[in-house]
Amino acid sequence: MRVIALYFKVSILNELQYRVNFFVQVLQSFLSLVVALGGLVIVFDHTESLNGWTSAELLAVVGVYFIVGGLIGSLIQPSMQMLMEDIRQGTLDFAILKPVDTQLLVSVRQIQLWRLMDVGIGIVLLVIGLTQAGAEITVLELLAFVVMLIAGGIIVYSFWLILATIAFWFIRIDNILQVFQSMYEAGRWPVRIYPPWLQFMLTFLVPVAFAVTVPVEALTGRLTPLSFLGAIALTVLMFTVGRVFWTIGIRAYSGASA
Amino acid sequence: MTSPVIEIEHLVKTYHVPEREPGLRAALVSLIKRKTREVKAVHDISFQVQPGEIVGFLGPNGAGKTTTLKTLSGLLYPTSGKVEVLNYQPSKRERAFLRQITLVMGQRNQLVWDIPAADSFELNRAIYGIPETEFRQTLQELVELLDLGPLITKPVRNLSLGERMKCEIAGALLHRPKVLFLDEPTIGLDVTAQRRIREFIREYNARYGASVLLTSHYMADVEALCKRVIVIHHGRIIFDGQLSALVDRFNVNKTIIVRPGDEPIETARIAQYGEVISEENGQITLKVPRDQATRVTTRLLTELPITDVSIADPPIEDAIEQIFATPDEAVPAN
Repeated sequence: MRVIALYFKVSILNELQYRVNFFVQVLQSFLSLVVALGGLVIVFDHTESLNGWTSAELLAVVGVYFIVGGLIGSLIQPSMQMLMEDIRQGTLDFAILKPVDTQLLVSVRQIQLWRLMDVGIGIVLLVIGLTQAGAEITVLELLAFVVMLIAGGIIVYSFWLILATIAFWFIRIDNILQVFQSMYEAGRWPVRIYPPWLQFMLTFLVPVAFAVTVPVEALTGRLTPLSFLGAIALTVLMFTVGRVFWTIGIRAYSGASA
Repeated sequence: MTSPVIEIEHLVKTYHVPEREPGLRAALVSLIKRKTREVKAVHDISFQVQPGEIVGFLGPNGAGKTTTLKTLSGLLYPTSGKVEVLNYQPSKRERAFLRQITLVMGQRNQLVWDIPAADSFELNRAIYGIPETEFRQTLQELVELLDLGPLITKPVRNLSLGERMKCEIAGALLHRPKVLFLDEPTIGLDVTAQRRIREFIREYNARYGASVLLTSHYMADVEALCKRVIVIHHGRIIFDGQLSALVDRFNVNKTIIVRPGDEPIETARIAQYGEVISEENGQITLKVPRDQATRVTTRLLTELPITDVSIADPPIEDAIEQIFATPDEAVPAN
């Protein structure tokens, strides 16, 4: 735990050095906000509700999309990208030789502070959306939302870890990450509005559904006990699979050069 | 109590490396079907290192030095054979083991690039669970020995290569490891920085009685630090013994340095006496077989207008080069 806390501190110090990044991030967050809201406006110019979702509820979805995207972008993605880079360059050696769990170590090494801005934007959008929708949220629903958010986070983390671990065998897989990025964009809308094949992909292939849609369902009274339990089960499964992948990958790893 | 720190018996390490023909077509094919080839990086080597020893590990690129170091530190699983370091099996990477060793690679960095080394050191303190007082003390000693002073508060990216390497070494030794694996720690550094690091390694070894296994392409490193050297070539050990014995055994030549008098001598004339290896500032260096050195010198002095002649051992590099040029079978192992 001390190690994690310290890594966070160091990463934050690191980030504070680059103020330009802050402004770039402001711009980037603003742009993606405009794109997301623009999409909503266009759709609701034509219709009152989308597959049972009102515009206010969809605003809440966009909010969660921002929250989760911000968390992934600041906490998960940087460390995973660093991991892949380290695998490619052979510098992972040093991490492996540290007397702490290597998976833990590589998962917390780097954060991008400014991406947390998206989390702030997301919370604002979520609150506005829920207020407009006139939703009365019970404590239980809020709790379910938080649990589903955490579960979604772990699923996405495990997914990333598995992708990054593939680099042990194929060394260069940056392209795969692009795939994730574009698939995640699809999470801006509730996955239920997509055709079944895409729904399936977004649920199981790239777990966007669990990261964004399911938590929102918890807040809008759409979450069934079944999908709640399913999400928990998938979380455990993904985490275990991630761990197994990692263990096998580490065994296969033999450094970039002899 | 004098059980060896490092014990390797019949270590074999084989890699499976992807192989493909050059060209786009082959590249596309290899995306789907990867051909692999077995490469024996280390072929049946055995040696021991005693506590407090500094052993130089020599060999040309690709001889298997780094592979051996990586196997010893636990990064690679041996294909077969026994490897023990501090009575641990390195490949299990037990924490108690990892706490007592360190690996420094001259070509790779482990300090965080954008922050001062001091912050990276703090990370290592947390990772290794070093108690505060011990950490302060060790750090102070390292700063002093390596002359780090103000360097550790500057972002690593702003340091010169030599400064960075010194910080790397400090960072790798904060937990006071008992066994040091140093893979070309002085590569690319200027002479002053090399000497500094050399002195430091010697001092650390004397102070903490740590064992050091060092690879380097710079013979000066090895000469200054290691009484014992292990020479590895094509994955086999071809020499293991005193450095002086290495020179005696493999140096078949002597160099003769000739300084002509006032009138210059044509190089061609001197070339009759031996192989001319350099010619600068009017000074000519000849290489001759060791047993003929005295005779050639006498002839040079009597037959040519020369003011001065001196005989020297060629640099150890030449001895090493000699070894690597020799086919495997011709060089008996110790």
